[in-house]
Amino acid sequence: MIQYVAKRLLQIVPTFIGATLLAFMIIQLTPGDFTDRFALDPNADAGQLERLRQNFGLDQPIIVQYFRWIWGILTLGYLGESFTYRSPVSDIIVPLIWNSLSLVVISLVLTYVLAIPIGIYQAAKQYSNGDKVVSFLSIMGLALPNFFFILLLIVGVLAFQADLRQVAKTDAWYKPILEFLTYDLKNGLIFPVGGMRTTEIYDNLPWWQQMTDRAWHLVLPTIVVTTSGLSSLVRVVRSQMLEFLKADFVRTARAKGLSERVVTYKHVLRNAIGPVVSGLGTILPELVTGAGLVEFVYRWPGITPGFVIAIQQQDLYVVMGLLVLSAILLMIGNLFSDLLLALVDPRIRYA
Amino acid sequence: MSLLTENTPVKALSRGQVVRTQFAKHGLAVLSLWVLGFFYALAAMADFISPYGESESFFRGAIDRSYAPPTKVHWIDPETKNLTLPFVYNVSSSLNLDTLELEYKEDTTQRFPLKLLTNGQPYTPFPINLIPVSWRNASGFDPQISLRLFGVDKPATLFVWGADKLGRDVFSRILFGARVTLTIGIMAATLSLIVGVVMGAISGFYGGWLDDFIMRIVEILATIPGLFLLLALRALFPLDAKSGVVYFVVVMILGLIRWGPVARAVRGQVLSLREEDFVMAARGLGAADARIIFRHVLPATASFAIVSFSLLIPGFILTESGLSFLGLGISDPNSSWGLMLAVAQEGGMQTFTSRPWMLLPGFFIFVAVLAFNFVGDGLRDALDPKARR
Repeated sequence: MIQYVAKRLLQIVPTFIGATLLAFMIIQLTPGDFTDRFALDPNADAGQLERLRQNFGLDQPIIVQYFRWIWGILTLGYLGESFTYRSPVSDIIVPLIWNSLSLVVISLVLTYVLAIPIGIYQAAKQYSNGDKVVSFLSIMGLALPNFFFILLLIVGVLAFQADLRQVAKTDAWYKPILEFLTYDLKNGLIFPVGGMRTTEIYDNLPWWQQMTDRAWHLVLPTIVVTTSGLSSLVRVVRSQMLEFLKADFVRTARAKGLSERVVTYKHVLRNAIGPVVSGLGTILPELVTGAGLVEFVYRWPGITPGFVIAIQQQDLYVVMGLLVLSAILLMIGNLFSDLLLALVDPRIRYA
Repeated sequence: MSLLTENTPVKALSRGQVVRTQFAKHGLAVLSLWVLGFFYALAAMADFISPYGESESFFRGAIDRSYAPPTKVHWIDPETKNLTLPFVYNVSSSLNLDTLELEYKEDTTQRFPLKLLTNGQPYTPFPINLIPVSWRNASGFDPQISLRLFGVDKPATLFVWGADKLGRDVFSRILFGARVTLTIGIMAATLSLIVGVVMGAISGFYGGWLDDFIMRIVEILATIPGLFLLLALRALFPLDAKSGVVYFVVVMILGLIRWGPVARAVRGQVLSLREEDFVMAARGLGAADARIIFRHVLPATASFAIVSFSLLIPGFILTESGLSFLGLGISDPNSSWGLMLAVAQEGGMQTFTSRPWMLLPGFFIFVAVLAFNFVGDGLRDALDPKARR
């Protein structure tokens, strides 16, 4: 097992270097560099700009810059300095990554927790009405763009705003119930429509109210990201289960008189789960990028909005830092799913 | 067997016929094909069908129609209460001081009849507009017509699905946007399919260091999250480039970052195909490598290629919409469905509920992607002998 992990880790190294070199070259190919915006300043003289470039090492050949940068990572874990903020890149991107991860990991867990039982149900009751409804919904979910879905949800919340505000002004008996069930009854919001926390009051809240505030803000984006992962994964689970339900060993198990529950969970699911587990490697990147546009609409301070801003400012090392860390995340995701696959499927040997 | 005499006509279906009958059994796929055909016809005839031009706007001028709601078409004469030919009223706007939004009221003094086959802004008719403008200018062959399917006389305006901030007709812009959104997917899918199939074939056929090299590239491309790679590559080109240039750039980028999975799958098929007898036979007859690859090996992967082509398109449509949504794709005054959604967002979320028609482009993206998914599913079932019904 340890040998297998070590081998997989070794395989990552060349891919990692290739990916970072490619990214580095693409970004360096972009016309101009970040000092361009100072060049527009009439007070800046050419000598100053040149010194600025030298400070950041921008006058060196690309390959030298690359190796300096990668050497910094390998020896000190130093990702470079942000040109715009004049501070270490890690200070800027680590919060972004945490924000994105909190959204993606919750959605990922929910996706798997929901997809497996739903898929099993669909396969067990093939062509039943429930199966048809779920199949229909998952096809719809595949076609609905993430950014449009979150827009629809936000508009949906806002559509009730005026009515709820009216309720908040009255003394109806159901007002306390609504107050408990909604995020902000006074402003007529069932759910928050953007951001990660209520910025105006967040800092003055006790910790448990801070937690609930954050949880409220997670609701809409989590719904969107989860449904998008769910609609593809449910289809995988269903088709996998159906394939093995037809297998000879299932007929044998039934003929032996085993209960349907044992047949489904011990015989079929154990065999069918492989692609579902290895799907983790492909679903994780989909969720990370899929969450990106959602982050944009919902004003969630995550990786993608940060990335777009950094690219616009040509803040080289912030862009590289985000690329490197997301690439590492993907590689870990892949490795993790391979290991999990090896755990659940004894036919796969570590060699 | 006794029923079969020598004279019994034996009906043998060609492969194409089998695939077609199988596809016809997939009701949703057939329906989707019709829907898509309808969309493409609308896109081709956009100039004729839409009452206004792509960038024809009514904003801050004599006629100001910023965020005008859908125009009411009246069928009933308000005096006699009888059915009449359809007509519209002119609208006048006034600023609501509470919401700071323009409110539109019908001015019922004068009727403007809805005209069929009327005149509007001149345009170059389909299919001549497929020829690049510079060629048309150079050759001096640039016929313009101004015939439009329907419209009303100014100062009345006809907005079937409302207007956007700059007073442009949403219906017309959806039709023009279809030109970008519906073709960019096909172009990019074609490109990535060609690159993927060729790379996969070379990789599987030759093996060795070439195979290793290509597969490493595929892995590297898979390591960088697609959206980020897309954004970084997009930054290589100026953000305010002309829409024609952006279109080309986006097709190239989309095509060149998504060929990996195709190449991997084709490689797998070629690996087993190259050991087949017919390849051996071709080699024995002295065929060159290129001939073996393109005439013998690749045709055997055709059904895979067709299916993956049809399933790549919806993904590209979604990506293009997302890119335009971020303001990095096609830019104003040209239109694409993703861009229209981005523009819809500009006024702030709070005002969305007062102009829900701005969300319509999203439904078109949804329907188009759905239809492509169904067609892809139908093709996969039709081409797969195991799924025969």
